[in-house]
Amino acid sequence: MSAVSKWEKMLNLDRRWIFLAIGIASIVPFLIGFGMPISTTAEVESIFDYVNGLDKDNAIFIGFDYAPGTQAENTPMGVAVLRHAFHNNVPVFITAYQPLGHGMALGALEYVTNPAIPGFYQSVSFEEWADLREAGITDKDELIASWESDGNALPEGAKGWVFEGRDFAMLGYAPVFSLVILGMTASIENQFPQDANGNPLIEMPMLREHKSLREVDLAFTTSGSSACRSWIVYGREKIGLPVAFGVTAVMATDYYPYIQSGQIIGQMGGLRGAAEYEVLLFENGITETTDKAFTGMDVQSAAHLLIILLIVMGNIAFFAGGFHKKTALKGRG
Amino acid sequence: MYETIGIWVGAFFTLAIYSFLYKENPIYRLAEHLVVGISLGYTMAITYDITLKPRLIEPLLSGNHWILLVPAVLGILYITRFIPGIAWLSRYPIAFLMGTAMGVSFPLTLKTDVLRQLEAAMQPFYMSGMPWHEIFGNIVMIFGTLAALIYFFFSKPHKGLFFGTGSKIGIWVIMLGFGATFGFTVMGRISLLIGRIQYLLGDWLHLIE
Amino acid sequence: MKRTVPLMIVMVGGILMMVQYFIPHQYSQAVFTNYTQWAPIVGAFALILGVGSLTRVHSHKIRRKTKNWQYSWAVLIPLYGMPFLAIIWPQSLAGGMDSPSIFHFFFMHIQVPIQSTMFSLLAFYIASAAFRAFRAKSALATILLLAAVIVMIGQVPIGEIFGRWLPETGLWILRYPNLAAKRAIMLGVGFGILATNLKIIFGVERNWLGGAGK
Repeated sequence: MSAVSKWEKMLNLDRRWIFLAIGIASIVPFLIGFGMPISTTAEVESIFDYVNGLDKDNAIFIGFDYAPGTQAENTPMGVAVLRHAFHNNVPVFITAYQPLGHGMALGALEYVTNPAIPGFYQSVSFEEWADLREAGITDKDELIASWESDGNALPEGAKGWVFEGRDFAMLGYAPVFSLVILGMTASIENQFPQDANGNPLIEMPMLREHKSLREVDLAFTTSGSSACRSWIVYGREKIGLPVAFGVTAVMATDYYPYIQSGQIIGQMGGLRGAAEYEVLLFENGITETTDKAFTGMDVQSAAHLLIILLIVMGNIAFFAGGFHKKTALKGRG
Repeated sequence: MYETIGIWVGAFFTLAIYSFLYKENPIYRLAEHLVVGISLGYTMAITYDITLKPRLIEPLLSGNHWILLVPAVLGILYITRFIPGIAWLSRYPIAFLMGTAMGVSFPLTLKTDVLRQLEAAMQPFYMSGMPWHEIFGNIVMIFGTLAALIYFFFSKPHKGLFFGTGSKIGIWVIMLGFGATFGFTVMGRISLLIGRIQYLLGDWLHLIE
Repeated sequence: MKRTVPLMIVMVGGILMMVQYFIPHQYSQAVFTNYTQWAPIVGAFALILGVGSLTRVHSHKIRRKTKNWQYSWAVLIPLYGMPFLAIIWPQSLAGGMDSPSIFHFFFMHIQVPIQSTMFSLLAFYIASAAFRAFRAKSALATILLLAAVIVMIGQVPIGEIFGRWLPETGLWILRYPNLAAKRAIMLGVGFGILATNLKIIFGVERNWLGGAGK
């Protein structure tokens, strides 16, 4: 067999061998668990610092602006910011740019309030604390004191109470969402008369204190498409709403101009960005462990090394085989 | 029980999709079709429940918001798309949404993607205490933006010192940008695979936490 | 009526909303408020187009018994089944473990895994493409390849093993040359969007009218 045909054979390798290699590289590190440390970048630290500076008098929006296809990257970002906000008692309005994002938002909220997940927050539905609300008790500290004095005890392992309508409101999806953002610059209630569970927004203490986006301190959008731009175009540029991005890695490089121009506070780019936020939460004592994004980073290392190896091998075979002098190479599969 | 069955079903469909890597097959095709139907069915249910019901139907039934019949009638005109002879009526709601949305977005897009970008590109290379890599970076950023713009400017031939050299530098800068994007794209695709492996090994098989 | 009125609606609506931005008068605000309340309602009905087209395509396949027609049932049954389930079981829309339902089950345990897995298939194909197509054939291709490799290694924890310079160089590429390229593209796209907006508002671009009823 000649040298050239050996290289050609290598280049025409059945792609299913490459698929198998990627599969192995993605499974083995999980089973071994290296736990390599991750350093944080200014782009993510700036979001963390900003959210960390907020408290119960502020309010933020978290937009779950993605479909299930990119949930592996986007959900950890939304979950991390949601946990941070709940820890600091910052009220959170939850929205979705697209219909399937509505389901993603519900899933993330359920994840953070699920007693089976360590570090959960115990959720109290809007109906459950109606008596206290009618009695005019809406301040978070007073609310917790009254709620617990009524005989409610925080379950073991829970990080704290979160009251629907005080700490979070699941607004959900609305069609033509960019115009909904625009409408919310004048009134949130006009755009969402009810939340996704049918509770009237006008009765929610968090809405009474934050009637429009002008009274909101941050919009964090975790997005798998250019939907995130709408928060800048219709929120930031219309009324100066502070915006932060959590975007898929594919899109992350496109938005560096917005960081440098100050149009966004910061950006989490892909799973790495989410992992950085998890590390910051952990290092600052906000969570007791890191989560799925951090554990995925070992696999990310292994898979990147494999892909670089494939690029190098492909180039060696290409040049050593002299194919750069030929016009075409017979492909297969 | 509900969650356990759900995870087993989810794992089955995950493997059904991965079976495509070996060969196209009927189970993959079934999953492919299901996803289209469920996503649109879900969208219909959600749109009715959290948009049409509280914003249109309930206010209309309360009898105080007859003005909402205007957007309702406009919206219903979409149906005419499927009625030969009056299909042209479906252009009315499209015209309403498109025209107004473009008008609204015009000044804001101008501000977001043009004015703010130009403003941000005009900044000093050097400020006291700035490390050398930032100074060099600022020079690359400012001249790189200009050079890349020259590369995309096709009204003049790319010859001479300004257009010729400018466009050559421009394409180098663009290639660096595309290289970074490729690197991030690889990262993104692997992350999506990681999500599924976590589901299979963790949620389904409980081999990892 | 068929072409002129829609073109007039686009022009009047476009100019009105553009001018509205610069006039913070109460009447202008009232127009703005009503408009932002109406738009989602009109937008919601646009779903009819998608549902109608999908139904037409798949019912046609079933009627004609074209190739793989059986799978069209897998589209049509959940398409109408999901809203039906939501109507007979409204609380299921809230989802979650507190209210397990078939509606929630279909979304969370069928839709989400399938869609996520479909996207993750790209990891395999990008690896295959990297092996077969990513060649340092020229100086420019080499630059692209080097930038990609540096960023790829710099973004993962293992990159730090080679020293801090590698992730730092990756970040430098992202923050400066990448930013320059993306800003130039953003400016170009921005001008393109603005020009297209004006062309549509003033009726120069009319392709959106389509062929319905001429």
